[in-house]
Order: sequence, then C-alpha cells, then structure tokens
Amino acid sequence: MAQPQGPSNAEQFKQSFREEAREILTELESALLALNENPKDTELVSRIFRGLHTIKGSGAMFGFEKLASFTHNLETAFDEVRTGRLQISAELIDLTLAALDQIRALLEEGAAGAAPVDPAACAAILSSVRKLAGIEERDDAAKKDAAKKDAAKKTQPAPVAVAAAAGAIENWHIRFVPGPDLMRCGANPSLLLHELRELGELSARAIMDAVPPLGEIDPERCYVWWEMDLATVAGREAIRDVFIFVEDACELSIAAASDPAPAVTRTLSASDAEKTARALEDGRSASPGRRSYDKPDQASSLRVPAAKLDQFVDLVGELVTVQARLSELSNQRDDAEVTAVSEEVERLTSALRESSMNIRMMPIRSTFEKFRRLVHDLARDLEKNVELTIEGADTELDKTVIEQLGDPLMHLIRNSMDHGIEPADVRAASGKSLTATIRLAARHSGASVLVTVTDDGRGIDADAVRRRAVERGLISAEAQLTESQTFALLFEPGFSTAKQVTDVSGRGVGMDVVRQRVESLRGAVEVQSKPGLGTSVTLRLPLTMAIIDGLLVGVGDACFVLPLSITLECIELTRQDIARANGKHIANVRGELVPYIRLREHFHERSRAPEIEQIMLVETGEGRFGFVVDQVLGNCQTVIKSLGRFYRQVQVVSGATILGNGTVALILDPERLIQDAMREEARGRGGRTLTAQAGPPENSVDFTALAGRGSIGPSASAQV
Amino acid sequence: MPVTLEQNDALTFIHLEGGIDIGCAAELKDLLIEKLKSGSAVYVSLESATGLDVTAVQLLWAAAREAQRVGVEFGFKGQTPETVRCALAEAGIEEFPVPGFTG
Repeated sequence: MAQPQGPSNAEQFKQSFREEAREILTELESALLALNENPKDTELVSRIFRGLHTIKGSGAMFGFEKLASFTHNLETAFDEVRTGRLQISAELIDLTLAALDQIRALLEEGAAGAAPVDPAACAAILSSVRKLAGIEERDDAAKKDAAKKDAAKKTQPAPVAVAAAAGAIENWHIRFVPGPDLMRCGANPSLLLHELRELGELSARAIMDAVPPLGEIDPERCYVWWEMDLATVAGREAIRDVFIFVEDACELSIAAASDPAPAVTRTLSASDAEKTARALEDGRSASPGRRSYDKPDQASSLRVPAAKLDQFVDLVGELVTVQARLSELSNQRDDAEVTAVSEEVERLTSALRESSMNIRMMPIRSTFEKFRRLVHDLARDLEKNVELTIEGADTELDKTVIEQLGDPLMHLIRNSMDHGIEPADVRAASGKSLTATIRLAARHSGASVLVTVTDDGRGIDADAVRRRAVERGLISAEAQLTESQTFALLFEPGFSTAKQVTDVSGRGVGMDVVRQRVESLRGAVEVQSKPGLGTSVTLRLPLTMAIIDGLLVGVGDACFVLPLSITLECIELTRQDIARANGKHIANVRGELVPYIRLREHFHERSRAPEIEQIMLVETGEGRFGFVVDQVLGNCQTVIKSLGRFYRQVQVVSGATILGNGTVALILDPERLIQDAMREEARGRGGRTLTAQAGPPENSVDFTALAGRGSIGPSASAQV
Repeated sequence: MPVTLEQNDALTFIHLEGGIDIGCAAELKDLLIEKLKSGSAVYVSLESATGLDVTAVQLLWAAAREAQRVGVEFGFKGQTPETVRCALAEAGIEEFPVPGFTG
C-alpha cells in the first residue's frame, strides 16, 4: 500500500495549531483579567467563550482529544455565563486561569522540554468548574430523567426557534471550498460542519462536481466543496472562528442573508460549479478578486518559522560583509564602471538589510500582556490591590530583543509589587489611592526603544541605598555620587535593601540579572525614584541585534566600531588641550564640561599618538561622554559577530565585525566603558579613564592586537 | 484498510471494514480501478464500516461514474450502518448518488 503523505503534513498543521492556540490562550488570559475588572462586559464573555470553543473544536480536529475534552467543560461554564445562568466570580476567573495553564501543558504534551501535564490538577480544576457551573447537577438530573427529558425535548421549540422568537437570529450563507492540502493536514470537513451545527440550524449540501474521473483522483485531496445555510444567533466572527485553523487552506465566504451582495450569496449555477471545478483542477480561483488558497500573494500575512528568518538575516549579514569587500576593491581599482556597480550593490544591500531587519520586528504587546496574569496572581498572593496599565504595546522591537525581555521585566514587576507598592493600610495612611498602579510602557527614542516599568509605590530611599553600598564595600564612604549613580548600585550583584526576604523577591538576586540581560542586548537600565511617589525603571534597548549602523574609528593600527545611533559630533583634541586639563580627562565643548575616555590609554596602545586626536561625543543613559580616538574613519554597516567564549567576559566589547579588507573591528559598548570608568571613580581608587591612570589593570586583554590583526575564525556566527 | 474480497467471474464483492479514510484512500483507489478494469460487476458493502470520510466518498462516487462510463455494473449491497449514514448526513452527503446506497 502506498504510504500516505499525511503524517508529516499533519504534524506540520498540528504545530500550526499549537502556535495559534498559544496566541488564543494569551488572548484568553487577557480577556479573563479584563473580565475580572468588568464582570458585566458581555463582549468579553463572548470572546472567552469563542476562544474556548475554537480551542476545543480545532483541538479535536487535529487530534488533541484530551485538550478538547478538558476545554469542553470550561466552554460549557462560559456558555452558562453567556446565557445568564452563571455569574462571573473571582473563583471562576481563578479556576479558568488555572485551567488555561493546564491547557497549555496539554497543548505541549510530548514536546521536548515541555512541562508535564498534572492529571490530578486537571481533575481538581474540572471538578471545581463543573461544580461551580452546575454541570454535574445537570448531568445527574439528565441521567435520572432521560426519558422525561426526551419527551420534553419533543415538545420544546428548537434553540434557534427560541432565539428567533427573541429576534436575534440571522441567516448566513457559507461557501467552503477546501484547498488541496486540507485533508493531508489532518483536518476533517465533517468536524467543521459538526461545529457549525453547534452554532445553530445548518443545512449543508456537498457539491461533488469537482471530483475528477477515478483514474485522475489524487486520493488524499478533497475535491468536494460545500454550500451551507446557517440560521444562528452567533455572529460572523463566531462562524469564521470555526474555520480559523484551516482558513489558509481553504476558500471561504460567509455572507449574511441581509448582505447586499447577491453575487456571493447566491447558490452556484451549473456554470459556476463548472468554473469552480475547473479552477480546482487548474489550481486557480474561480472568481477573480476573491481570496484563494492558491494565491498566497493575496494573503495578508504569512507565518514563517523563526529559524528560516534567522537564516535569512545571517545571509543578509554575509552579503553586507561581501559588499564591504567589494567597496574596498572598487576604491583600489579606480575604475568608474566597477565603482558604479559597487555603489549600486551597496544601495541594494542597504535596502535589503533594512527590509530584513523590518521582517524581524514584532510588537511588544504579547510580552506586555503576559504580565497581566503575573500582576493578578501576585496581587492576590500579596493581598494588594494593583492595576496594571499598558501603553505603547504596538511598539516594535527585534524579535531577539523581545524574546529576551520577559525575564528582566518579570523581575522588575515582581520587585515593584513586593517592595515598591505599599500595603493598602500604609497607602491609605499616606493619602494614596488604595489601588496601586504599575505602568508598563514602550516608546521609540531614536534608534532605541524605551521600555519603562513605573509604580506609584513608596519609592527608593537613596540614602539607604548609599549606606548599604558602603556596608558592602561597593563604594567608599566619601564617594560623591549623583542620584542616578546611586540608583545604579541597585544593579550590583547581591545588592538588596529589602528588610525581608520573601517568596517574590528580596534575595538580592534579580536586579543584577536584569542589568546583565539588558546589557547583553546592548541596552541600558536607568532608575528614577521619588520617595513616597514611586519608582520608574527604564530599559533602553536597541531596535535591532543583528546588523547596526556603526562609526568606524582608529586607535593605533586597530579599528573599533561605535554604534552610530548614540554618536553626536566629533571635536579635536590637541596635546595642548591634554596638558591644560592637568591630568583630568575633561573637554570643554562650547562651555559644557564633558568627561572623556582616551581609548589608546584604556586599551594600552603604546604607539605614538597623533598630534591631534579626535573626541567622538556620545549621548548615553549616564549623560554625555567623549571617546578619544586617533581618527574617525567613517560610517559602516556592521554585521555583529559573536566573539566566542574566551572574550565573553570582556564586557566593554559587545561583539566584532569583519571589515571590507578582511580585518576584524571590535564593536565597543559605550555604556559599559563609561560604567567601568565610573565604578572605578566611585570606588575612589583613581579612575583609569576619567582621570590620569598609571599602568595596565590586571587581567587586561590586548584589544588593539585583537582588533585589526586578529581573526574571529570560521566558526563565528552572526549574533542575532 | 481491512477489506474482504469475494469474487467470481461475474462479480466482485468488496467488503469495507472499520474506518475508511485518507489513510487508506490510495489503496481503495487502486482496488476500485483494478476491479472495474476486470469488467465484472462490482458491489461494495459498508455493513462492517464504522466511518467514511470525504476522500472515501469521492472515490466511491468517482467509481460509480467510471463504472457507468465503461458499462460495468456498480453499486452498494447490504445495509449501511447508522453511524456511517449519520456521518454522511452531517457532511451534507445525504443523497449518495450510487445505486443501492441505503442512506
């Protein structure tokens, strides 16, 4: 017997179901938490019901029987809510949230690294839901009185008739034409029709005209299509939801009888049927302008595996590197034709780079929305009233950045909930609203995105932070720190001012992890706080992680890259300027004193410095600083390569890139360079960079040897 | 696909058993083509079938057309189980256009 192609396709569509179901679960969680705030919102109830119905129906269709069966009871409970027989309560919300966790586990069951399903928890949740919704009582009553019920059923009007009496019913005409792969993906049209029947009275006609002669049939393809009339109280969205997981593999039209679109709603004539049949065979749509599974260019979006996207961006990165070589060669040749081609390739590469980076951009909404549940659960556990507000959820960030952002934000929110926000009695005593607010916001700022967690809690006591830092030997007692520098100490490993260690936070771990994670993304953290008013933690994150616009600078024989996004301007530094500063590394920029780091000193470059050096001024979270270099070489598209394990501890460098001439340039992390220098200053040991320094520090790396003469090696990969 | 064949020179009886779906559609197609080519009458029994999906339906429907085209007798024999009838009715296939179908 020929092996059907089904299993591999079916597994693909199962995966597709998993991905879509995950999204629905996230939406369900948000809707439940919103319902908790507005229990009378019937639209939210309908949305939750539809989401559960979709997961149940599609789960059954794709072979997730346990998941479908588990979800069925929840769906029934929300049907009870929908029809007014059950009231929304905190208990129902909490039970449903717990049930969603189990549905997630059931969804991932069997997958590598998936959390195991807890059958006891599932059973306990189901039992509670059934009890709360009165499902058990009704089932028992139904069993005991089956005969009576049957008799009553015969005399009762059909549900749709009841709805019709209430005046809410609508007639819909649905045309469903399965695509060539619908059956192979494990979908079963009969189950879809069964689901439609659950929405109301369905009259379905299978149209066989498109079935080819026996010898020409592809046995695993569905040639049958359906014309259906549905009388239901459910809306268009509910009908569309039935097809949600096969929408990309079918042609679907849903028209209300009241729609002024006779061309769509009419029953197919014989010639239409022939056209449809021909189109199915030809792989073309019968009606131009209508969406078709065979016309992917008409789809509004496309789901692509992340690995394929990463590979694409890697290749673009390689292209950027090759293009840099081409530019270098064309400069050497002095050939007008080669130069023209090189410039055209450069223009196209730049456009391709921008497009590929845009493809990776995702709205931060899903990450933000996940924290509604965290705030809800923590508020309950900590017995605090906290409202989470979200702003700028449509702000887009590189997918890698978004993926890495969950943990730092979770730490920050936990910290706010546990230490920042006061208990209700304390808030009342200080005249604050009993309901505290945590605000999660995102917005663009130049080439960065600022993500801010703000609470209206007790704020941070800067003196307490300072005392603690002195106790722990992080700063000297005499150190003069700005408020920003003081709050930066919160991110030192093991630092905590919490008087009490709790289950939620306060162990002194977490905040340093926040900084580590954010800095690994080439971002920065900044804290602002007012005692009694609250705290705001801002994460400054780069828009992209794979390729950046850089400014190439030279120090000795070595080349370094500074992120172009933070550079401001370039000014000259003469030997006289250095002498006048009396060993202090301070430049006077139109009356403003700007501290600078002289990179040849920082990296122990021993070659003779030029008569006139260049100060590259940059704007960072710590303020305005300068980096002194021998020369500024120009802009470059910088494909970020990782440096390998040996250099991973070198925090002032965020990666490396290959230049057009094949040499390596290190990508500097200005924030880390400055922070290193400031920490040295704060410790009162005499800064290496902000003041004159003597001798190289221990465990130093010969940066100038690495940058310019070294090699990353063939194993280097784009860091995306 | 569990199938039992009864045949003589004039007649082939195909007893389909269990769930007849996409998993055995290719095999069913080959079987139907082979038996129709033989020129003898072909009858299908669904008495022991527990389910029939749309791929099986369209194969049987195409077989009926093919039989008509080549002048071979083709039809159903025996009672179609309630579950199969219900499944077909749910799929909107109430009038299975094959002689002998007891839908």
